[in-house]
Amino acid sequence: MRVGIVGAGAMGMTHAAAWPCTLATLAGVVAKTPDLARPLADGYGCRVYPSLGALLPDVDVVDICTPTHLHHQMVLQAAAASKHVICEKPLARTVAQGQEMIAACRHAGVKLLVGHVVRFFPEYALAKQTVAGGSIGKPAVLRLSRVVFQPRKADDNWFVDFEKSGGMVMDLMIHDFDYARWVAGDVATVYARNILSGNPDAGVDHGLAILMHRSGAISHVEGSWAYPPPTFRTAFEIACERGLLAHDSAATAPITVYAHKQGERAGDVPLPASPLAESPYTTEIKAFYHAIAEDAPVPVSAADGLAAVQIALAAIESAQRGVPIALAPLPEVQP
Amino acid sequence: MKTSHDTLRLGILSTAHVHTDAYVGLLGGTHSVADGGARTWSEGLTAAPIPGVELIGVADADAARGQAFAARHGVRFFASYEALLAERPDGVIVCAENARHRDLVERAAAAGVHVLCEKPLAITTEDAEAMVAACAQAGVILMTAFPMRFSPVMTEVKTLLDRDGLGKVYAVNSANNGQMPARHRAWFVDRELSGGGAGMDHIVHLADLLRWYLRSEVTTVYARFNRILHADKVDVETGGLVMLTFTNGVFATIDCSWSRPLGYPIWGGLSLEIVGERGVVAADGFRQNLINYGSQDVLTSWLPWGTDADRAMVAEFVSAIREGRAPAVTGEDGLRAVEIVMAAYRSAESGQVVILPG
Repeated sequence: MRVGIVGAGAMGMTHAAAWPCTLATLAGVVAKTPDLARPLADGYGCRVYPSLGALLPDVDVVDICTPTHLHHQMVLQAAAASKHVICEKPLARTVAQGQEMIAACRHAGVKLLVGHVVRFFPEYALAKQTVAGGSIGKPAVLRLSRVVFQPRKADDNWFVDFEKSGGMVMDLMIHDFDYARWVAGDVATVYARNILSGNPDAGVDHGLAILMHRSGAISHVEGSWAYPPPTFRTAFEIACERGLLAHDSAATAPITVYAHKQGERAGDVPLPASPLAESPYTTEIKAFYHAIAEDAPVPVSAADGLAAVQIALAAIESAQRGVPIALAPLPEVQP
Repeated sequence: MKTSHDTLRLGILSTAHVHTDAYVGLLGGTHSVADGGARTWSEGLTAAPIPGVELIGVADADAARGQAFAARHGVRFFASYEALLAERPDGVIVCAENARHRDLVERAAAAGVHVLCEKPLAITTEDAEAMVAACAQAGVILMTAFPMRFSPVMTEVKTLLDRDGLGKVYAVNSANNGQMPARHRAWFVDRELSGGGAGMDHIVHLADLLRWYLRSEVTTVYARFNRILHADKVDVETGGLVMLTFTNGVFATIDCSWSRPLGYPIWGGLSLEIVGERGVVAADGFRQNLINYGSQDVLTSWLPWGTDADRAMVAEFVSAIREGRAPAVTGEDGLRAVEIVMAAYRSAESGQVVILPG
């Protein structure tokens, strides 16, 4: 099986890295210009082709990783050449185009996979499998969230060209529209708002949508291109009759790097802070004030303070000598 | 007007609401939760009683319920609302079932007594309007119990917004999810008494918080409700999603679903994410918890250590009475929230966007 990749951007690179994990051969790459295709082709030892038309005779499978508005024409071209197709999401810019693409592939007898990759993320796949297993009952309320920064490209940023990409709603939220439908079934109504529709000059987008599924389930879908880089956070909650499945990428990130930055500035001493009506330092001072005013015992005794000093000094000694240090009971201090 | 040296005398009308336990603790009664450990908003570190306040007692038309409550907390029980009001308290907290708020607020107003009323203020716009009018006419304070306005987490967000920390605000994604409350009080799912389900219970807190944050009024409401969760136990909606738009162009969703199962480590929560020109602020009013990992027969639970917002809310009611001024959260605020809930029900019924008169 010989595969050709069309599009050498972030998705083309990502797909190229995956094909060597199959028995297929990566045969060639097409990009907008041969120069753009060169690094990918060199990296995987395959040829640069000048066009999809030139690539087709040499492959069995076409992997389309181009901007959304090009999917339609390219899938039709691949189908006409009887090549199997994997097409990045969204399938098409319009429903009519998508229908035509599906019909063409069916007519040509070739397979068409749409790159709704979220279905392959293990946390999403596990949640789907758990719901489908039936043990926690029917889904009732879904919350799906996908928040990132606005995609950038050195030149020709087609992502922010609404005609080409369909914008954030079409490019990003579509992941969770697909997932909501996969889990809770066909959608009957959609009601949505996004920044771009009311503020075309905002420069960012954020969308909120309420889906009503034919099953009666309701879904809340959030997508964002309004977060600062390098945010990429996904989250979901699926409330079912007998259980609630919850995922938050921020909470499940197994590795976090806290790196020092050049020129970082902060206060002299770190102080913990969480919004409270009364600072714990105030609580402490008040407790001491009351102990004096009412001649009551102080809540932290001086003996507690002394014991802590003993532990700390033993820790220093242990660290310096490399041996465990036994603590002797401290005699009561006589007044 | 009372001076700050006088002891303020407060009463509680009805003990129907689960929050009554917390209020009585703030007013000097014993803070104990009897019925199976209701995990409520207020069950953080037990707040000290508010100084200078005396709880004269509780009245409840449900004598058995009221007597049991009074005995549990070591406070006086009044056999009728009239008997309590005849003691001429300075103020009362109305903790009745939602549908009975109007009656008790009107009685208090007629007796010239200031009122702090549980949320939602009423189950119809007409009731809420009548309550606001009755209190205005009687010259008494009507405050709506929206404790989130007093949460240090939420006030910090308010401060950030007020100093323009986000620039222009575009959108808000908010959620007030909880467990289905019937196990605490059966009336919560009895439409006659509650006025509805998750929508009636959980839209108002965020609707109020958003009006306060955005300094703007709601213009359109779209809502979808369902009843899949607990469908075998209740006939009110248990799931709900609402989209609001405000006069300033901001759009906001509220998830009001009772979507927290009984195995959830806490009663629920309230959180929001505000998207603006300069970035996003995400706030969770109930994140300040200790995790208590359970064992075979003890569920894992979250033990809240954040500030009890009820205390500052009741303290504000007390201060407003003392100082003879309007409270920070008024009856009108409660009315606006009720209007939004009513619009949500109309939208869910028709499937259409409902426009609120400006």
